[in-house]
Amino acid sequence: MSFMPGQPVSTVVQRIEIHKLRDGDNLILGFSIGGGIDQDPSQNLFSEDKTDKGIYVTRVSKGGPAEVAGLRMGDRIMQVNGWDMTMVTHDQARKKLTKKNEDVVRLLVTRKTLEDAVRQSMMQH
Amino acid sequence: MPEQSPSNQTSLAMMQEPQEVVEETVTIEEDPGTPTSHVSVVTSDDGTTRRTETKVIKVVKTITRRTFQPVILIESKPSTPVPPSTPTPSETKPVTKMVKTVTTRTVRQVPLGPDGLPLPEGSSPLGSYTDSIDRRYMKNGERFITPQATSTLTRSYNNYSDSYNDTPDSQFRHYALHDGYGDVADNYGSLSRGVSYRPYRPYMPTGGYRPENSYTLPIRKDDYGHVAQPQVPMGSSTVDLNRSQPERFQPEPYGLEDDRRSLGPEDEEPYDLEPDYSTANRRTLPGRSIREPLRNGPRVRGYEDPIEAELIDERHPYIHGMYPAPLAQPERGSLASLDRMGGRRSPSIDSIRKDPRWRDPDLPEVIAMLGHPIDPVKSNAAAYLQHLCYENDKIKKDVRQLKGIPVLVGLLDHPKAEVHRKACGALRNISYGKDHDNKVAIKSCDGIPALIRLLRKTNDMEVRELITGTLWNLSSYEPLKMVIINHGLQTMTNEVIIPHSGWELEPNEDSKPRDAEWTTVFKNTSGCLRNVSSDGAEARRRLRECGGLVDALLHALQSAVGKKDMDNKSVENCVCIMRNLSYHVHKEVPGAEKFQDPSALQGPGSAGTQRKKKDDAGCFGGKKAKEEWFNQGRKNGEHDKNYDTLDLPKRTEPTKGFELLYQPEVVRLYLSLLTESQNYNTLEAAAGALQNLSAGQWTWSNYIRATVRKEKGLPILVELLRSDSDKVVRAVAIALRNLSIDHRNKDLIGSYAMRDLVSNLPSGQQRPAKNLDEDTVVAILNTIHEIITDSSENARSLITAQAIDKLVAINKTSQSARETKAAFHVLQTVWSYKELRNTLTKDGWNKTHFQPIATGTPKGSKSCKPGYDDTTLPLMEKNQGNRGCSAGDMIPMDELSPDGYSTIDQRDKDSKYKSSDGSSDLQEREPLKNDTNRKHYIRSNRPTVSLVDACDVKPQPVDSWV
Repeated sequence: MSFMPGQPVSTVVQRIEIHKLRDGDNLILGFSIGGGIDQDPSQNLFSEDKTDKGIYVTRVSKGGPAEVAGLRMGDRIMQVNGWDMTMVTHDQARKKLTKKNEDVVRLLVTRKTLEDAVRQSMMQH
Repeated sequence: MPEQSPSNQTSLAMMQEPQEVVEETVTIEEDPGTPTSHVSVVTSDDGTTRRTETKVIKVVKTITRRTFQPVILIESKPSTPVPPSTPTPSETKPVTKMVKTVTTRTVRQVPLGPDGLPLPEGSSPLGSYTDSIDRRYMKNGERFITPQATSTLTRSYNNYSDSYNDTPDSQFRHYALHDGYGDVADNYGSLSRGVSYRPYRPYMPTGGYRPENSYTLPIRKDDYGHVAQPQVPMGSSTVDLNRSQPERFQPEPYGLEDDRRSLGPEDEEPYDLEPDYSTANRRTLPGRSIREPLRNGPRVRGYEDPIEAELIDERHPYIHGMYPAPLAQPERGSLASLDRMGGRRSPSIDSIRKDPRWRDPDLPEVIAMLGHPIDPVKSNAAAYLQHLCYENDKIKKDVRQLKGIPVLVGLLDHPKAEVHRKACGALRNISYGKDHDNKVAIKSCDGIPALIRLLRKTNDMEVRELITGTLWNLSSYEPLKMVIINHGLQTMTNEVIIPHSGWELEPNEDSKPRDAEWTTVFKNTSGCLRNVSSDGAEARRRLRECGGLVDALLHALQSAVGKKDMDNKSVENCVCIMRNLSYHVHKEVPGAEKFQDPSALQGPGSAGTQRKKKDDAGCFGGKKAKEEWFNQGRKNGEHDKNYDTLDLPKRTEPTKGFELLYQPEVVRLYLSLLTESQNYNTLEAAAGALQNLSAGQWTWSNYIRATVRKEKGLPILVELLRSDSDKVVRAVAIALRNLSIDHRNKDLIGSYAMRDLVSNLPSGQQRPAKNLDEDTVVAILNTIHEIITDSSENARSLITAQAIDKLVAINKTSQSARETKAAFHVLQTVWSYKELRNTLTKDGWNKTHFQPIATGTPKGSKSCKPGYDDTTLPLMEKNQGNRGCSAGDMIPMDELSPDGYSTIDQRDKDSKYKSSDGSSDLQEREPLKNDTNRKHYIRSNRPTVSLVDACDVKPQPVDSWV
């Protein structure tokens, strides 16, 4: 799976809807992200292609909203509420995820296992 | 420590002045849009009229062009692709040519020549006005050879002469062409109403009446004058006309004769009620070099307006004088006046020959017309003035002495866009140049607040460009800087800087951050602010505290870095402002004392160790320190979450305003500029900003110095030591010196930069290829001195770099006392390391080489001016004795006295004006052209300099919890 930033990507995606957890003033999603076009892509532990500057899920807190919604470590976030995440800075991605006025975040993610699954099912046929 | 003073060096050199070619192009591009609006203006049901209007549009284009050519500013010849503008005489020629071309085109396209008044964009219905004039004239009878329509007449002269020559009818025809008065249509509305326009049709020439050669005004003729002057009855029709008009016009706002008179030139007399106008005219001519032939006929045509003629009374003889006498004998007077023009043969002379009846207005007339009750006349007069003033210091001076400047300033508040636009254009040209009296004259009649008022009011881009251009020009004169700050700082920031920078106070999270727009308005305004930012501590304070200014500038620069568009003038201006505002931040910003590094107050030794400890913790401190940052970052909230490399003071709220100036984040910005920009001025300013920020003893400069290292800035700076630009080398050298206050930096610079520093030194009297300034050489020597102080390792690398040869040679033979002295101090320090003496003696040096040369001593003592002492250099106290003096040599860049800046400015001004003579200044700038190639060459040849801390090589991946 390789990406050309800014180009349409055809890949297997999964929709994930996370309901934020309210903790006082804070809204918690329960995962952490890494990557972004301003970050060093070679340090991304999850990407296959070490030049990929996409946003990845680096950690998912146990029992948090993200885990409940099915998000997994290593997922590559394609969109957040319709906003493209394949060509944004780390901070832009963070801001899109942490808007105070949104209780629900809809993610479009892709993950290696998903692709593998699809590939396998296709091979079976 | 030396800081780079807020000089507006380069920006001064860039002070605006018209530059023809560039602007011309722009105007041409604008042309296509113009016709549409004008066409729509046509209200008349008459086809002819419509055509006329189209034609007017063309004329307008012409005018615009001409107007603009003079308008463009920027004298920076080297940086523009256009050849430097030449002295006035030759420079006007191309202009005329342009006009000719356009006019010809116009003629071809439109059979009917208008009077050529520039139409304001989106002007009001002209047709009715035109009609009304025609109608009126029709009604009154045939004989209405009023002064109006001059240019049209002129233009058409060649063509219609066959059929219409000298017949009143033919003259009459031109009235139909008066559609240039869109502005005044309202006033004349009453006229057109109720008057049948039918009769005028027969007179409308359909084809044979092609205007041409509209370059000149009609020469004043006797009978023309009569028409204009009621009290000299000429024909019955004239009388009728004059009698009938007053009733119609009384309600109109034309009874302003007194005003006009008061605005007129003081020497009205020559123009007074002279029956023979050509004579009167001639009388005034001698010695009036300002009387140029009119090159842009269309612009002035509007003066000869029939209505205007009716309104004029004998009190404004100079205005009367303007009226052409189309029917007068062409042979007479025109040629005579031609001769009188003396050597001043302008291109339009040809056209005068062709149609000798027209002439140009002279300067007092033009200035008088600024007070004319009819708006288009005002705007045309202003436009013509702008044209006349283009790079013509003599005319600027004459305009000033004829008291034209207050009138122009008064027109800035005129409600009609066309009028204030043209007035602004004239002021822009007048404000340009080394004659500061013109600038002062604009200021003295409250021109600065008027400009600012207009800036607040208008949305017209062109007007805004003119206003800000004028302000830029004014800002180059020291005494006006504070005035501009007082009246315009916040307005310029709010109206121009912030909107064009893309910065938003409360950014909408959903929208992408906007990029800066490098508009001319932004360029002009930033240039103006750049100039005023050099006006001392108070000016800096005002700019720093101006709401949103620093934020917007930073945003603009960041956007420039993001788009890799860093070579333009606007970026240069912004960086220079930032540099200037960074000067003395550690002393001047509110609350600075809270951040003063206590170690600064102690002796040099202890300060050094303390600093060292702290910085090492910052850089190598290992896990513990890192964790501390991490925790601190957390406490500080989201803002700092990603910033895991620095130990920042706690921030309770997001940084804004002047605090942004010295946040370690700006280091990355400046380093990006230093890496990417090809513009020497930008490079110099960015290095200067780092220099300023890394000077001084307060918490922030400690962070800045460490951040430069962590952001891998040292190799970038060292590389720039190889720049071809003297001033870049100088700024970088001083920045390195300030950075080496940090001991880790000092070690790194000593190990890796020494060779490049030394290579910039001259070998005795033989200068290196680069031929650096004395200032630069001294700066480099002082940097070397700083680096080897307290570091025998660095002194050793100095020896390894074969510097001793050069230093001894400079010490012995340099013509410059300052260089000698600085070199001596370095040598002295080297010799003071006993452990190195062995090496030195092996190389054949002995003690005498490290002593002041006997003959050099007096030189040296002379060079050390008493004023240049430690006090100005915040860090000087940590150095011993002799050192202060050597460092002091750089102080001209520093705040020697409140006037320290002006000294620099003055120097720049001087060099700027020198440059027109092709003197030294040009030499220095010449390399600009080779810049790109040269730099790449250097870059590719550059050995890998590992001038970075090991721990910083790999930035930690950022990981944000959400």
